[in-house]
Amino acid sequence: MDSAPGRRGRFSRLPPFTSQVLKDSVVRLSPFSLLSNPVMFIVEMTFLVVAAMAVYPQGFGSVASASKQTFYLEVAAILIITVWFSTLADALAEQQARNTASSLRRLETEVTSRKVIKQGWATDMVPTKSTDLRKGDLVLLEKGETIPIDAEVIEGIAMVDESLMTGESAPVRKAPGDSVIGGSRVVTDTLTVKVTANPGETFIDQMIHLVESSKRPKTPNEQAVTMVLLGLTAIFTIIIVSLLGLSITLHLGADLSVLIALYVCLLPTTIGALLPAIGLSGVSRLYANRIVAKSGKAVETAGDVDVILLDKTGTITVGNRQAIEFIPFEGHTVKEVGEASFLSSWYDDTPEGRSIIRLAYDSGYIPKELNSLELSKVYPFSATSRTSGVKMSRGLMLGLPKGIDSGGERRRFRRKAPEALEGLDENEPEVEVLKGAPDSMKSSLGAVPPLYDEVVNGVSGAGETPIVVSRNGSALGVIRLKDVLKEGIRDKVMAVKAMDIRPVMITGDQPLTAKSIASEVGIDEYVPQARPEVKFSIVQKEQKDSRIVAMIGDGTNDAPALAVADVGLAMSSGTEAAKEAANMVDLESNPAKVIEVVMLGKQLLMTRGAVTAFSIANDVAKYFAIVPVLFSAAIPQLNILGLGLESAVLSALIFNAIIIPMLIPLAMRGVSFKPSGTMSIFLRNVMVWGVGGVIVPFVGIKLIDLLISVI
Amino acid sequence: MITLPEFLSVALILGASLFLAWLTAPYLVRVYKRVPGRLDRVLNPVEKGVYKLAGVDEEHRMGWKEYFLAGLCVNIVQMVIAYLILVFQGSLPLNPQGFPGLSWDLAFNTVISFGTNTNLQHYAGEVTLSYLSQMTAIQFLQFTSAATGICMGVAMVRGFIVGSKDMGNFYVDFVRTLTRILIPFCLVAAVVLVALGVPQTLSGYTTVTTVEGASRSILVGPVASLVSIMQLGTNGGGYYGANAAYPFMNPSPLSDVFEIGLMLLLPTALIFVFGELLGKKRETRPILIGAYGLFIIDLGIAFIPNAPAVGQGIETRIGGFMSVFWTVVTTAVTTGSVNTTLSAMHPLVILAAFMGMLIQSTPGGKGVGLMYMVMYIVITVFIVGLMSGRTPEYLGIKITSRDVKLVMLAFLIHPIIILIPTVLAYASGAAAAIGVNGAPIGFTQILYEFTSAASNNGSDFLGTAANTPFFNVATAVVIFLGRYGPIAILMALGGSMIGRARTAVSGLRTDSITFSLVLIGSILILVVLTFFPFLVLGPIQSYFQGSVNGFG
Repeated sequence: MDSAPGRRGRFSRLPPFTSQVLKDSVVRLSPFSLLSNPVMFIVEMTFLVVAAMAVYPQGFGSVASASKQTFYLEVAAILIITVWFSTLADALAEQQARNTASSLRRLETEVTSRKVIKQGWATDMVPTKSTDLRKGDLVLLEKGETIPIDAEVIEGIAMVDESLMTGESAPVRKAPGDSVIGGSRVVTDTLTVKVTANPGETFIDQMIHLVESSKRPKTPNEQAVTMVLLGLTAIFTIIIVSLLGLSITLHLGADLSVLIALYVCLLPTTIGALLPAIGLSGVSRLYANRIVAKSGKAVETAGDVDVILLDKTGTITVGNRQAIEFIPFEGHTVKEVGEASFLSSWYDDTPEGRSIIRLAYDSGYIPKELNSLELSKVYPFSATSRTSGVKMSRGLMLGLPKGIDSGGERRRFRRKAPEALEGLDENEPEVEVLKGAPDSMKSSLGAVPPLYDEVVNGVSGAGETPIVVSRNGSALGVIRLKDVLKEGIRDKVMAVKAMDIRPVMITGDQPLTAKSIASEVGIDEYVPQARPEVKFSIVQKEQKDSRIVAMIGDGTNDAPALAVADVGLAMSSGTEAAKEAANMVDLESNPAKVIEVVMLGKQLLMTRGAVTAFSIANDVAKYFAIVPVLFSAAIPQLNILGLGLESAVLSALIFNAIIIPMLIPLAMRGVSFKPSGTMSIFLRNVMVWGVGGVIVPFVGIKLIDLLISVI
Repeated sequence: MITLPEFLSVALILGASLFLAWLTAPYLVRVYKRVPGRLDRVLNPVEKGVYKLAGVDEEHRMGWKEYFLAGLCVNIVQMVIAYLILVFQGSLPLNPQGFPGLSWDLAFNTVISFGTNTNLQHYAGEVTLSYLSQMTAIQFLQFTSAATGICMGVAMVRGFIVGSKDMGNFYVDFVRTLTRILIPFCLVAAVVLVALGVPQTLSGYTTVTTVEGASRSILVGPVASLVSIMQLGTNGGGYYGANAAYPFMNPSPLSDVFEIGLMLLLPTALIFVFGELLGKKRETRPILIGAYGLFIIDLGIAFIPNAPAVGQGIETRIGGFMSVFWTVVTTAVTTGSVNTTLSAMHPLVILAAFMGMLIQSTPGGKGVGLMYMVMYIVITVFIVGLMSGRTPEYLGIKITSRDVKLVMLAFLIHPIIILIPTVLAYASGAAAAIGVNGAPIGFTQILYEFTSAASNNGSDFLGTAANTPFFNVATAVVIFLGRYGPIAILMALGGSMIGRARTAVSGLRTDSITFSLVLIGSILILVVLTFFPFLVLGPIQSYFQGSVNGFG
């Protein structure tokens, strides 16, 4: 299991430290641009105060002394460097976001295409820029042209190159009803497409807006963390002001610069500096996985998911089931079953259908009725009846049947099987061959053969799919279709379960088949014989029980469920309705990635929490470094680290500053974690970032102090 | 260090208190859930009479604002009445000693102090207050302020209950708290105290001639009834200026143990009430472990010194050990009664006392301590809980930025009202005016005064010395803000939980031991971070300077 979703090879690098980043980080030092980050704004203000102390110590009365000008300069320098480290983190995250945005923009190259305008019978072609296209416009695209904007195919079949979006180099076949993404290229044939999104409103645009907008809205969780930071800032401000007041009225002799150093060390500078970068790079990391998010909130919600609905096909299994055996019912032969299967699958262009014909052909079960197929009546597969087949009439044999499309396989079979051309049996004027799911077939059968259920259940019990084949209303036998599991899916499911998330498998299969596959990958809950609409009711039911649901979808009938699901991941190959309803779109159309989305959401929250806890825990050590200096005369015993007086302050300040750039890679890559229960992740992070956060600065400050004393 | 028998007696007293609290909790739950019971036959007519008299609609339900304001108004009215009694006690009956009325600022301080369950006393009761004042102004406020605290705590918990629609009715809760909890419990406690030798009389002070021939007044009065509510209601305001160090308030080690138990009873019972009202008994766990864990840490700090001080000012009748134990308990539950003078205490005992008052929920004042603990839990769940990789949630409710804002505000009140007045006391010369300097001992006294006021504790170093307009007004303001500020904010927090979506699956289990321990660590860090430099200037510095019992 890839435990840290952000660390996928090509995108895990931090953005390079360019002159653009440097310039940007310096520009951001302006107090006005810091106003959005109150902690850093305060640090900059304290820099101004200490700088003034260095220049004109006399103006500060008893809380500054002229002999310490060098020390003040040093403190001031560290303070401004602290602020700069923070703007640097911002600039780096911004650079990363800019890279993401420009890579997204490349998907939106402006092209001129031919808009089709129909007026009565006449059809006009008007060259139109992609920015001028509107929802509902028709566009004609020929070989070599770039698709101007997200659209749906109306006419024609063509191969389309989507490599820019998906990284998948092989062109994809697009037929009417399929959706095409703006920026992809038609590589064969001609398409007429209908524009489904206005320019500036595609999901790509939404993502660009998300990463690029300078006034990015804070996510609810970011707002809450900001509230903690403001609260802590207020507390420490009161402390320092009171200490200053006491120091003056009680003549404790504390130096203002030391008080300021204590103040800045206590302020949650680490998380204050890194908070914007953490959120921004989370979205960028998501895009590194080729997932486009429409809002930052959706990414965070993904971390809270309790239930994931996984479609069996495409997520758990590769999608193509293979026919592996024909099983006859009592009184029929394997050959009969094989031939009937052949006939029934002739017009079935699905991978399953093709595998049935291949198996029948390879076994030599070539039906004599092959010739009549051309004149047969086709019953296409329908989701409601869940059957398909053909019906042929006697005496209408006119030569060789032709294939419906250019698929060469069937023609090849026919050429090699001349001895089969015998026509229909004279005793049977009509032949109707049907195949379909066992329960649906039952109703179309004249008589259900004995052991029907036993055979069927035997197949589905083994995790395979039974397809019942009938000829003129009598069941002949069963085709065994075997599912092929996706690589690594079992580990992913285990990881999900380890994190206390319930995976639920949705499948159209028989209960027994579903059960077998579910147990093979380790899923305890599954919904068999599900129609597409079932997702919506499952999402609603789980939400009613106050659970957070993630799901994937591609079809239009998934759209309602995608819209209500807390995390809805649509496939970019899916329909526009699905993409519009979802809050994330996967450009690679790999449904198994919903799991990675969840991991990334968790990682984002974890990173934010870890840096916050670390930042607060650090304060303990900083107190022990600086407070003894404040009251050095009164309580020398408090100096448990044995630090020099001025160097203690400098060490603490340097540690405070340097921890920011040290944590930038962590902020941008995210905390790595092993999938396990929430409590064990929690405990581990508390030990590393909480307890570690108390200990590390003691060591760090002491080391820096040693270094300073050497210099 | 602590000897084995001492350790065992601490364990025994705490164990017994926990056990009694656990036994009491179901009864309290029945009172607040208005479950019919055997007492109804007697009390229902009484309560109905009160409601009728006061024009209270028993079935009316209140939101947090209405509930809080009702409590605040009732308290203020009571304070005004008490104020008039104190100022005019000279012309009122039941004043056999003929004490004159109190000055406006002392009366102001006293009514706010007692009306808020603080009981910081800038007077010595036995030479200032008439019987009438003791029994009406003082004792009356001790009952009502205790009842108010409990009601607020219970109401806040109601906000967290799944499916709750309101916070209850303040007037009903208030009356039932008095009739069914405080008055009956105090009756029993007072009888026990009388049996243990505490006087209860209205006969006036007796003058006797001692064996040496000197003439002395024996300052007796209705003491037992006052001690019972002072301890049970975690009030702490004594009949005498010396409080429970005065033999008539705490005659023997046995009465001492009994009074310690009384202090712990209600705050601890309310922790159990929390889980029972919620219907999630396991959620009692982090609060109980958190409260008692921190309490034991406080005890540990207090018992570090080799000789927990039997010196000048320590009651030999009770002994150093029980004095230290009492001091830690009284600050842990914000009672503030003392059985010894604080001045005699070792700096580390004072440090432990500070910790109790700064944390305020170890287990804290009844009701209010519970509210503070919920505040700490919400902060901890948010900051630390993020590390579990889920949006932090408590009791299945996702913590929003508004919740965080409220708890941070509530937490912020304490440093503001302790530190700013402390600085002001020095800057304005008010401290110097009563002869307190800025050296560690003096600083400890001033800081303690405002800490005690802010946390509604009431124990203090200054006592009658602080009867100056500055300290009377400053502490009164601090007390008032320290009481009603956090209560209002945390009531808003509880109220905002009504009708919120709940997650069925909880990521971070707040009822686990792990979380309870993290909670202890997080509270310590938060409180230490906020007050460390000031504790350094006070008790820590005097510890390092080698004072053993030098806070005089």
